[in-house]
Order: sequence, then C-alpha cells, then structure tokens
Amino acid sequence: MTEETQYTRKFRKELMAGLSSLVLLAVLARAGREMYGYEIAKAVKAEGEGGLIFKQGAIYPVLRSLNSLGLLESRVEASAFGPPRRYYNITNEGLQALNDWQGAWKDMREFVDDALKAGGSQHAYQPTA
Amino acid sequence: MPISQQPETVREYLNALTAALRAEKCPPGLIVDALNDCEEHLRNEIAQNPGVPEADVLASVVETYGTPAEIAEEYKSMEATLSGAGPFPKSEQPQDERPYGFFNVLSDPRTYGALVYMLLSLATGIFYFTWTVTGLSLSVAFSILIIGIPFALLFIGSIRVLAHVEGRIVEALLGVRMPRRLPPTTQGEETVWARIKDALLDIRTWSSMLYLLLMLPLGIAYFVIAVVGLACSIGITGGALFGLITGHVEFQMGGNPVLEHFVHTAPGLIVLAIAGMLLFFVVLHIARGVGALHARIAELLLVRL
Repeated sequence: MTEETQYTRKFRKELMAGLSSLVLLAVLARAGREMYGYEIAKAVKAEGEGGLIFKQGAIYPVLRSLNSLGLLESRVEASAFGPPRRYYNITNEGLQALNDWQGAWKDMREFVDDALKAGGSQHAYQPTA
Repeated sequence: MPISQQPETVREYLNALTAALRAEKCPPGLIVDALNDCEEHLRNEIAQNPGVPEADVLASVVETYGTPAEIAEEYKSMEATLSGAGPFPKSEQPQDERPYGFFNVLSDPRTYGALVYMLLSLATGIFYFTWTVTGLSLSVAFSILIIGIPFALLFIGSIRVLAHVEGRIVEALLGVRMPRRLPPTTQGEETVWARIKDALLDIRTWSSMLYLLLMLPLGIAYFVIAVVGLACSIGITGGALFGLITGHVEFQMGGNPVLEHFVHTAPGLIVLAIAGMLLFFVVLHIARGVGALHARIAELLLVRL
C-alpha cells in the first residue's frame, strides 16, 4: 500500500461523504430484498476495484442516517451467532432519491470529466489575441 | 494515526473503538450503537473464516473495516449531519443558543416532551417496578427448581428489552441520544452457565434493574408534580376568569378577611389570574428541568459501555 498524503486522504473522504449514500441505495435497489449490514458491506466490496477505498466500517453510520431519513426501512432480527442483526430495505422514497441522485451524479461526473479533460488535452482554451 | 497496539481480539478492537469514540466526545448512546454495529460485523467476519485465528482475521479487518479512529470519525461526522435534521436539537450546542427567557419555555418542544413523559412515568413506573420485583423474586424462588435457570435468563432478557424500550421513550420525549439497537445478548455458542455468569457480572443488568425499580418513586413524584402544578395554575387562572365574568367567586382564602375581600374585587381577580399564568410558566420550567435531570439519570443507568 502506498502511503497517501494527508490531503489525498481528506479529498477522498470528502468525495466519499455523499457518494456512499448513493452507492448503498444502489446496492439495496439492485438486490431488491432486505440485507443486513455485513451482507451489504460484502456487496459493496464486490462492486469493483474501488471497494477498498471505501472502509466497510463507514457504511454502518450511513445506513443509519439513510434509515432515519426514511430512505431505508429496517427491522432487527435475532441471529444465530453474535448480536441481533439489523436488516435494511429500500423504501419507495429511497428509490425516488436514488433516481434523482443518479441524475445529479451523471451531471456532476460529466462536469468534472470535462473540466479534467480540458485541462489535460490539446483542445484547451487558447486566447486568440 | 497512532495505533499503539494492533487489536488481536474482538474485545480489544471494541475497546479501542470505545476509546476513539470517547476521544471524539460522542454521546454514550451513539457509542453503544457503534459498538453493536462493529461487533456484528467482526463476529460475522470471524464466522466466515472458521479456520483462521482471530488475530489474523482482525489484522485483515482493520484493512477493510477501518481503524478504530477512522470509524469513530465516521460516526461523529454522520451524527453531526443528522442531528440538524432530527426533531430535537443536539443537546450540546443549540442548548446554549436557545434563548433562556422566562416565557420562551412555551415554544420549547422539550417542555412538552418532558411534560408528557412526567404524566406517562406513573404508568411505566408501576409496570417496571411490578415486573422487576415479580421477576426477581420468582427467579430467586425458582432457583432451586429445574426451571430456575431458563426463567432467570428469560427475566434478564426481559430487563434488557424493557431498558431498551425505556431508552427509546426517553430519547423520543426527552431528546437525549440513547442506543437505537438492542445490546448483543449471546456471543457465539456459550454454555448456559457462561451466559448467566456474563449477565450477572454485567453491570448493565444491575443498573438497568435499579433504574426500573427507581422509576416507581420517580414516576409518582413526576406525575404528582405535573398534575398538581397544571391543576393549580389552570385552576387559579380559570377560577379568576370565571369570577370576573360571572361575578361568582369561589376562592376561599383560609379565613383571612383582607385576602378574602381582595379576591372578591375585580383587581384582586386579575392579580390572581396573572399569578395563575405565572405559576403555569413556572410549572413548564419545572417540567423542562425534570426532563433534563431525568435524561441524565437514564443516560447514567441505562447506557453502559
């Protein structure tokens, strides 16, 4: 593992702050059934190579916040081992939010991509005079 | 991030997480929730890797789950963003901003939450007390019988559920952060004896029981304060207004002729009406104070780390 600078870590953290909600909603919407925290953590890790930049411990507070916002619903069930599990499922409001956020994310990504491309390519804005 | 010692067992990791959350000045209720989330995850992780020693699993978990300090930071920031949206402001900063004028108590939602809690606490207090005393005495009595052990376990379980339910009531009405999950009950496949021993050694069991017992006298006191306070203030104001409108004054001033005459005059009745209103506000202040005090008691006895 390469040691990241403090700025990079802060930057990652800030990027992830809003996106983690989007990712978790997407995972639950795709699953189409209720899942408990550990299952969701595993599903997020399986999403791609980027899995590790997202610490699994961070999904639990996000799940809680989505739950209290009404985007997820939850119920607790006793488990065969360990503490009781909290199962989460996406609500209709959550599906609506996911839809809206996907649009927002698409716009944002295009905007950022454009900005980065313009900076690195030959087509950068050249003053004419 | 300074990690003095890599945690090698779940217990060590949880202890490190507790320390990190304390350092972030998280409320006890949040700490308990975070510990439960974490324990659920770690125990699942260990169950998924049956042959691997616990220390090795934990070493990889710190990579994927995050270090205790990182997790603490996540919970802290999530709680900070959430508390703005909730029905109750977080007890720390907005409390100082809130104007503490005498009449502002009327627009403070905590006042009414506390008032409802005070009225409710008689019923819950009686129930908790009866349940605890009955369960405790039956557990002791049954201890010589074969059903003694399952009964005691059931009783301790019910104490935890009651404590949790009370925590939810306290959070909803008094606005203090309490655990939102039930505490873990079983850890792996321990024997019945080990579970009883754990439960008996767990200070949370005893402090919860103490709280449930304490709720009877407290509940009676709260109920009496609320009912007498509201009845007196509303009664005095209402009686004075009634006297002003109809001319029939029902006040008895204990045989004092000067006061007796005074309350039979219009200015006297107006003064009484105003005094009743002031008393009403004093009662609201008392209710808010009792709410804050009781929230502290609940946090102290029901939330254990």
